[in-house]
Amino acid sequence: MSSIHLKTALDYIRRSPFQALAAIFVLSLTFFVATLVFVLAYSSSQLISYFETRPQVIAFLKDDATEDEVAALQHRLEGDTRIKEVKYVSKEEALSIYKKATSDNPLLGELVSPSIFPASLEFSVNDLNFAQSIIDEVKTEKNVDSVGFTAALGGESSLKDVVGRLRTITMYVRVGGLIFTGILALASFVVLLITISMRIATRREEVEILNLIGATQGFIRSPIIIEAFIYAVLGVVLGWIIAFTAILYLAPSAVLYFGEIPVLPRDTLSLFALFGVILGVELVSGFVLALSGSLFAISRVRRSR
Amino acid sequence: MIIQFKKATKRFGGLAALDNVSFEVKKGEFVFITGPSGAGKTTILKMILGELVPDSGEVIVDGTDVRTIDSKELPYFRQKIGTVFQDFKVLHERTVGENVEVALAVIGLSQNDWEERVKHVLKLVGLSKQINLFPSQLSGGELQRVSLARALVVNPKILLADEPTGNLDWDTSDAIMKLFEKINEEGKTVVMATHNVEILKKYKKRVIHIEGGKISKA
Repeated sequence: MSSIHLKTALDYIRRSPFQALAAIFVLSLTFFVATLVFVLAYSSSQLISYFETRPQVIAFLKDDATEDEVAALQHRLEGDTRIKEVKYVSKEEALSIYKKATSDNPLLGELVSPSIFPASLEFSVNDLNFAQSIIDEVKTEKNVDSVGFTAALGGESSLKDVVGRLRTITMYVRVGGLIFTGILALASFVVLLITISMRIATRREEVEILNLIGATQGFIRSPIIIEAFIYAVLGVVLGWIIAFTAILYLAPSAVLYFGEIPVLPRDTLSLFALFGVILGVELVSGFVLALSGSLFAISRVRRSR
Repeated sequence: MIIQFKKATKRFGGLAALDNVSFEVKKGEFVFITGPSGAGKTTILKMILGELVPDSGEVIVDGTDVRTIDSKELPYFRQKIGTVFQDFKVLHERTVGENVEVALAVIGLSQNDWEERVKHVLKLVGLSKQINLFPSQLSGGELQRVSLARALVVNPKILLADEPTGNLDWDTSDAIMKLFEKINEEGKTVVMATHNVEILKKYKKRVIHIEGGKISKA
């Protein structure tokens, strides 16, 4: 029985291809933007997560601090629930980091010895709101010479400002993206509504005949709902494919620009998994859009007895 | 009795389309409903089909009071009744075969069983060769046969016909009437609204004459 409904729905589409094209075009545009917004939201959260999990605070140790004292301080910091990933960096490791950072100018590395670099304890904070108080506390430790921050973007003086700024940008991206997607989704809904309403209007005689021969409302509505579902599936898949292709095209440049920050999954499987999830969510959204649009259009046609 | 009208009255605004109408139709009977235009013939058929309900009185079809049928049960009630109309009411975008198949899809019959039933009913109405033609390629008589085939294919208990020969010439009308008679002889109850005097003269069946919403002869 479903094949007759599918055939009817396909007949409707064939009979008015321009209405169908309009509906599919708007839905494609909506889901193209939605896919980009999804990816932007993912990338921005990755960006924040990256900065949040970097060693944010470095406590430079005094040269006269003994191994036991350093170990005790490290143990104390590890026991603090506000702090995570405490790492001891020796003088030798500090020199190695310096040499790596100045590898384009080896002369700079040759001029220094490990003794001029202080050993340090690097750690991150779970919540940046605690950062300042933790830093103030660590500064008071007798073996700590000074405390510094690793990140500095756009000239901000503190890490909190950096991540705060990132969060604000991310929030704007997400809210702006959601609003834009919402507007497009509303436009899709209206176009779907108009298309289906026009379909119902042109089907009036057919509906009358079907009513007379005992067709249930489900029977009469099925082709209309299937038609809306066809538009939704085509719109979602087309929008998703275009966005996916565009992102695959731009991915190498993005990876190069962001370096080690994993704004997009590095391995193919994870990348496809991410886009698979996006496609799944969009298909569900498309179905909801199609179902609500077609049922709303149908509900406008009341029968009386 | 398969159809019973008991003092049924139906008003549209202040005008009585049916006024205290009572009559009965036996199972397997062929009944003509006659009368001038606006007399109430179509109102009677619409009540039998459950499209209208009486304001007062009762209309009982195959044991069911049409007033008690809710909107969800109505389609299943109508599936027991075949309908043929003056304006054919065929689906113009579907072939003859598909027009008949739609009725089978409506009653939920398995698609595997369609072909045999469609071929049988089209043979009965003489449209076997036209199975793949579209309504625009058919004559008026053929369109009425499509309508009749669609009504018959679901094996209804009652066949309602509203002026089925109204748009046809005499020869075609006569051929259609012979089909109705044949169907009636096979046991189907037929209720036909018509004001075609020649048909009434030729086919000697029980006549219910209605005028001004009242039965003048039953």
